Amino acid sequence: MALRRDPASGNSLDSPVKQIQIEGLVVMKIIKHYQEEGQGSEVVQGVLLGLVVEDRLEITNCFPFPQHTEDDADFDEVQYQMEMMRSLRHVNIDHLHVGWYQSTFYGSFVSRALLDSQFSYQHAIEESVVLIYDPIKTAQGSLSLKAYRLTPKLMEICKEKDFSTEGLKKASVGYENMFEEVPIVIRNSHLINVLLWELEDKSTVADKHELLNLSSGSHLEKCLQMLMDRVDEMSQDIVKYNNYSRSLSKQQQQKHQYVQRRQQENAQRQSRGEPPLPEEDLTKLFKPPQAPPRMDSLLIAGQINTYCQTVKEFTSQNLGKLFMAEALQGQGS
Amino acid sequence: MSRFFATGSDSESEESSSAEEITPKATGTAFNKQNLLLSDDEEDTKRVVRSAKDKRFEELTNLIKTIRNAMKIRDMAKCLEEFEQLCRAFLKSKAIVDKEGVPPFYIRLLADLEDYLNQLWEDKEGKKKMNKNNAKALSSLRQKIRKYNRDFETEIANYKENPEQSAEEEEEKEEAESGSYSESEDDGEGVTAKSFMKKKPAAEPAPEASKFLKGAADDESESDDDDDDEIWGSDSTDSGSESEDNEGNAASLALAFLKKAQDGDRQADRKKEERKRRSKRKERAEEEAEEEGLEQEGGEWEKVKGGVPLVKEKPKMFAKGTEINIPVVVKKLNEILQARGKKGTDRAAQIELLHALAAISEENNLGQGIMVKIKFNIIASLYDYNPNLATFMKPDMWKKCLDCIDELLDILFENSNIFIGENIAEDSESLAVSDQPFRVRGCILTLVERMDEEFTKIMQNTDPHSQEYVDNLKDEGRVCNIIDRLLQYLENKGSTEEVCRVYLRRIMHTYYKFDYKTHRRCMGIQGESKSEQDQEESEGEDSAIIMDRLCKFIYAKDRTDRIRTCAILCHIYHHALHSRWYQARDLMLMSHLQDNIQHADPPVQILYNRTMVQLGICAFRQGMIKDAHNALLDIQSSGRAKELLGQGLLMRNMQERNAEQEKIEKRRQVPFHMHINLELLECVYLVSAMLLEIPYMAAHEFDARRRMISKQFHHQLRVGERQPLLGPPESMREHVVAASKAMKMGDWRTCHSFIINEKMNSKVWDLFPEAQRVREMLVRKIQEESLRTYLFTYSSVYDSISMETLAEMFQLELPTVHSIISKMIINEELMASLDQPTQTVVMHRTEPTSLQNMALQLAEKLGGLVENNERVFDLKQGVYGSYFNRDQKGGYQQKQGYQRDSDQRGGYQQRQGYQRDSDQRGGYQQRQGYQRDSDQRGGYQQRQGYQRDQKGGYQQKQGYRGGYRSQNQSSY
Repeated sequence: MALRRDPASGNSLDSPVKQIQIEGLVVMKIIKHYQEEGQGSEVVQGVLLGLVVEDRLEITNCFPFPQHTEDDADFDEVQYQMEMMRSLRHVNIDHLHVGWYQSTFYGSFVSRALLDSQFSYQHAIEESVVLIYDPIKTAQGSLSLKAYRLTPKLMEICKEKDFSTEGLKKASVGYENMFEEVPIVIRNSHLINVLLWELEDKSTVADKHELLNLSSGSHLEKCLQMLMDRVDEMSQDIVKYNNYSRSLSKQQQQKHQYVQRRQQENAQRQSRGEPPLPEEDLTKLFKPPQAPPRMDSLLIAGQINTYCQTVKEFTSQNLGKLFMAEALQGQGS
Repeated sequence: MSRFFATGSDSESEESSSAEEITPKATGTAFNKQNLLLSDDEEDTKRVVRSAKDKRFEELTNLIKTIRNAMKIRDMAKCLEEFEQLCRAFLKSKAIVDKEGVPPFYIRLLADLEDYLNQLWEDKEGKKKMNKNNAKALSSLRQKIRKYNRDFETEIANYKENPEQSAEEEEEKEEAESGSYSESEDDGEGVTAKSFMKKKPAAEPAPEASKFLKGAADDESESDDDDDDEIWGSDSTDSGSESEDNEGNAASLALAFLKKAQDGDRQADRKKEERKRRSKRKERAEEEAEEEGLEQEGGEWEKVKGGVPLVKEKPKMFAKGTEINIPVVVKKLNEILQARGKKGTDRAAQIELLHALAAISEENNLGQGIMVKIKFNIIASLYDYNPNLATFMKPDMWKKCLDCIDELLDILFENSNIFIGENIAEDSESLAVSDQPFRVRGCILTLVERMDEEFTKIMQNTDPHSQEYVDNLKDEGRVCNIIDRLLQYLENKGSTEEVCRVYLRRIMHTYYKFDYKTHRRCMGIQGESKSEQDQEESEGEDSAIIMDRLCKFIYAKDRTDRIRTCAILCHIYHHALHSRWYQARDLMLMSHLQDNIQHADPPVQILYNRTMVQLGICAFRQGMIKDAHNALLDIQSSGRAKELLGQGLLMRNMQERNAEQEKIEKRRQVPFHMHINLELLECVYLVSAMLLEIPYMAAHEFDARRRMISKQFHHQLRVGERQPLLGPPESMREHVVAASKAMKMGDWRTCHSFIINEKMNSKVWDLFPEAQRVREMLVRKIQEESLRTYLFTYSSVYDSISMETLAEMFQLELPTVHSIISKMIINEELMASLDQPTQTVVMHRTEPTSLQNMALQLAEKLGGLVENNERVFDLKQGVYGSYFNRDQKGGYQQKQGYQRDSDQRGGYQQRQGYQRDSDQRGGYQQRQGYQRDSDQRGGYQQRQGYQRDQKGGYQQKQGYRGGYRSQNQSSY
């Protein structure tokens, strides 16, 4: 199994993780997990195991969450995890919980659920990361595996559960700095490297045409479709916010008028020598409208951002391919 | 005269009395059971009255007993309840009480109750002990009784002075009364009333009652004058009734056998009074109506005199030897009429009497004036025959009515010196034969209108699938004939207003009928079919000309809006029915009815709906699919076409409609022979929707903002898709859905075979008068639209396609194909150009791919997003028209241009060899310009016309549906 590199080199909980080193085994296991269980837009999840070395998080193993079915609702996930880790420990595998992984469908992973679970992970185990695996992109020829952590600012907000506009403004959290991506290094043991070398020699010429596939329209369409959906959501959110701020300002005005009237009255009363009217609680009179939570729109914005990134990446690659193809065709004809 | 036998007979008919009792209350259907003339059913009446009184008093005493019991146990709630019931019962027995005076036991109770209550009230302690319910009841009862007793102050005072005596007094009075009756009830009752009044000035129980009494007195004086001794005098005198029986007590059932007759007499009197009072109520209402001059029945009823007109001997109208002259007959007539509307009056007998009178007057040659007057009355009584508005005339009555009206019209035509009018006063009538023209009160127009309504009612109430309906429908000819004759008559004599009314009646009988004769003449096959049919239909004039003449007169002369509106709608309907589409449409648009039809009453709205539907069907026959669709959209999209056209009620739960509303709605229904075939309507609508929607769907396959043209059509498509197993189409809808699917593929042959086949022919297409022409039109439309759909759907597959191939594929002529494609190119629906020498369509291949479409959508959405964002920003800044705003306006208007510059975007495809740079394209368009042949241009301009119509006209009527609905709701 995995070759373990000097494990207990000191606890560096206080230093944030700067780099992630993943064993090839983990990658293979994740891919296998998806291929076996994830179909279409279904998402598979699992637990990452490993340990922290200086500012580097080493992920050495993982195991999947079992697929939920409706009928076994009383299935205890925590229990399962604990038992699993215990068993792994018995076979001398790293049993430290360092995060989780999740597959994604066309890069749509920025969601409230992810935020919440990552927050709880990071809250409990500071070095936890979430690995996002994009099977579709991988199928197209380039492995897509990304590690994310919540930024400290976002952690603060989540801790306080303050998702109002003011809170977000104060913390100066934008969609760009919600998540931080941690660079990943995939590392194999020497033995495996040797094995791979040997295999490469022996194997026939690999089909690499996927990489040069020109018909990428459908993928792009899909991306656009999802992007559009998010934009729609965003639009709705903005409208909601707009309504809110309008009603707020209207109320502000009313409040202002009310106060002024009260003041005038009091002035008159004073001139007549009567006692001023008692102060009333203005907040009771004017209940401020419910402010829409801003976290959702922030998340949507983040999602849109990732989509844009994907599309950008994708198109730049494709353009390259197209130019290449053109050049080839020119030569051929 | 079986009076004397009455005494003997009552024992065996005692049982029947309770049953008889109900009969007078029963509605019109019960009259058959009653005997014809009152004098014959004397015994019955006696018994009825007798038991009525007894029953009432028994009821009262029972209630009083309960009250006393409740008083004993201090159950105030019960007391209150019972007291209320008692009051009600007392009111019900008012008639008897008026006659008898307030029964002493009643007064006794009132006095006792008041005392008792006051006593309770004073008793503070006791009151506190009472439970809440009782206390509440006590206070309210106290108030009630105080108020109530005010009406009986004197009696109560009397009673309190001398509790015993007042009861006796009561009886004495009764005695006195009964003694004073002269035994001929008919004659005597007036006197009774008077004497009653005089004798018991203090005994007026309630103000209401006194009013009646006064009225009775007034009237009696009149009727006394009127009543002819010749008729009534023959009555035998009866023995005075010295009855000492205490009628008032219910317990006095054990009456002396002998005395029964007298009691009966008295009660008969009482009963009659009651009846009189009732009639008076009606009479008053009638008089009021008459004052307004609006009385439906022709206003003959100047005054229905009081008293019960009892014609004792039917055959003997006038006493022997009486000189029969006009005043006598008029008097007699009035007598008969007095009974009108009264409860016990036998309407059938009344009609008989009037007929007899008519015969007598004819016999005696009294002149036409009186005849006309009597005829008026006969017809009015015929209408009166059914007391209920909802029920319809019996066939024999209806025949009689038609005959009568015919005769009346005959007289009027023969004698041009008769003036009739509803505003001729009764006393200024001149009925005598003299040099002066006759003047008769009455309105023939209202009679005929009523007749027409009755006819509609009969048709509504007949089962449309029975032979009976056909038989009834045969009468329509007579109805039309009568209306025609009246029309001729009024054209000479009537005012314009009346003429307008009768014209409208005429129009109403014409507008929905298809003029086969003219149609055949137009078709040029008249020569061979000069059969008996032709003679039957020899109306003389073309119905279109008649309609035109009548309607134009109404347009010019009518003052009331309603008649004009109806006339316009009928006119449009008639135009549409005869395929004069442009006239119909122009009239519809000119009348601006669509704007304000929602303010009209439901029948007019139903007529409007019918007209719109007919207009739509007409447009369809003419091949104007879009107009047809627009006209039918509102009716069809509601899913309540049946209801909106007045052709049946939809099943609804009782919450939305109670029995009353249902009756009202039923009365609005259009008779079956005027119905518009709903299946035809739906089929026309669906086929037009198919012809519009399928190419549209093909053209806008990727458009995110695609709107549905017809929701209902989409619904049908969805239903079709949901079918698990798709068999061959059965119903009309399935046919259309199957045809739509075929059309989607551009397969016009299949589409054609689905739309036009045996089944559909028999169901729909053969219903059109020019079925063959419509079918040809339809085939043509299917071919054209299939071609368009085909081009939209598959243009991306072709680089170029020969028009000849297309023409062959769709079996269209080359010029047609050319014009269709040109039109598509001009409208920028198809990105292509025509290559003249080779007769091919060259595709530009510039339709955006799905990815491009998606990108366009995204751009649009982002535009919206930015806009929204800026609004937020604006709010924060508080300034409108900021920098962003200006920028955005420029930017996002461009997006409308996207579609247009799409051919530029397809830049790299130009390399494929069809380099058509802009000037070349322009050149082509110039060529295109002069090649545009005339029909194409016409077509194009018409297109614009449609749009104008659409904006100006059909769309506006959006409101009317709401109108009808909301009105429905408000009226319910």
